[in-house]
Amino acid sequence: MSKHLIDITVNGEAHSVKVPSRRLLADLLRDDLHLTGTKRGCETGICGACSVLVDGEVVKSCLTLAVQVKGRAVTTVEGLSQNGELHPLQQCFMEHGGLQCGYCTPGFLMTSCAMLAHNPHPTEAEVRAGLNGNLCRCTGYNGIVESILVASEKMRGN
Amino acid sequence: MRDFDFLEPATVGEASRMLADLGDDCRVIAGGTALMLGMRQRMLTPTHLVSLGRLDALRGIEFDEQSGLRIGALALHADLARSPLVQARYPMLASMASRVANPQVRNQGTLGGNLCYADPATDPPGCLMALQAQVVVSGSGGERVLGIEEFCVDYYTTALEPDEVVTEIRIPPLPADAVGQYARFLRTAAEHRPLASVAVVARRAGAVCVEARLAVGAATPIALRLRRAEAFLSGKTVTPDVAAEAADIIAADIEPVSDLRGAADYRRDMVRIVARRTIAGLFGLASNQGTTHE
Repeated sequence: MSKHLIDITVNGEAHSVKVPSRRLLADLLRDDLHLTGTKRGCETGICGACSVLVDGEVVKSCLTLAVQVKGRAVTTVEGLSQNGELHPLQQCFMEHGGLQCGYCTPGFLMTSCAMLAHNPHPTEAEVRAGLNGNLCRCTGYNGIVESILVASEKMRGN
Repeated sequence: MRDFDFLEPATVGEASRMLADLGDDCRVIAGGTALMLGMRQRMLTPTHLVSLGRLDALRGIEFDEQSGLRIGALALHADLARSPLVQARYPMLASMASRVANPQVRNQGTLGGNLCYADPATDPPGCLMALQAQVVVSGSGGERVLGIEEFCVDYYTTALEPDEVVTEIRIPPLPADAVGQYARFLRTAAEHRPLASVAVVARRAGAVCVEARLAVGAATPIALRLRRAEAFLSGKTVTPDVAAEAADIIAADIEPVSDLRGAADYRRDMVRIVARRTIAGLFGLASNQGTTHE
């Protein structure tokens, strides 16, 4: 079965990896590149724990083949903090009860990161609609929504 | 997931030849969101995937006053939802696309792939029927242009020949007096798939419905036009009673499916309610009571 040499940029770093056709992006990130922040959750496209950004847009890495992202730029939760400083979203999730067990958190962070890039000033309803593809079984979502709304204010410089 | 070869043809002709040579052992992959689910659950075990990823001719969204909208088969749901052109010219289409599945799937799933998969519990087919879309397909026999009703054959079945791929979707320009809406009912707000959908395009002269195109989706094995209700509305002044009667005709003319998402009778009732409110809403009649829908 075919193998592919793919060039891929992950969190700003260029990688060249040889993968079988069936390698999923989630597995490439976790097993080949050892970036285990991205979680395998339901592995059926429902829970969103595996969400990552591809060229800035959020996708589910359990439904994406590694060969499909050849030549593209992937951002995982490991790429959010800069120079040892947590991203405002990460800081707000910590401060506003945006997580309990933390398993779903990388997915929520990546989804909300893309959400705020498209819409820097979302309403609560827009935040809730934007989280439609991510499941959290601990927090009841209120803490997550509040974290994102506060982060959006911070990121706008307020 | 079983292993497979991943093929990347550079032209539609090459893709078509691969499909012809490999037959049932291969599948086309566009965004892959639905295909990956089927393959991971081993409902599908192709030995080859033919990727359309390199076919840039299948991308893009363009509008022309004469010919209308051209949507490349590889346009993402998110592309349609965010396109200023689609938002301005076909707001019901942009609105529909903004609600398909969830943000991650909209960033990866394509309109062409959605139509080819022919999953009944989805949004685009009904909306495209009310908009009288055409599907352009290409294979060894050349290019064919099919009406969307002709393309959608049955539950998970399309009119595509084994060596054909969808290249674009066309939507004719809307008349100046046309209004439209795509509405749907979800069992819960967190569902990714509608239980029922209703799409309406109506030419309106004040309170009079000059002409209407009605389609129901997600409730039935394939989306379908409701021509008896269309004829009933044509030329009528739309009152709350007329909207209710049209909705009753629609509900009577469908044969809903029963599945985990809902029983046939429940679906029929939800179609009736969503249809009544959508028709009434398009003609400026207050209709917002009871069960919520979006």
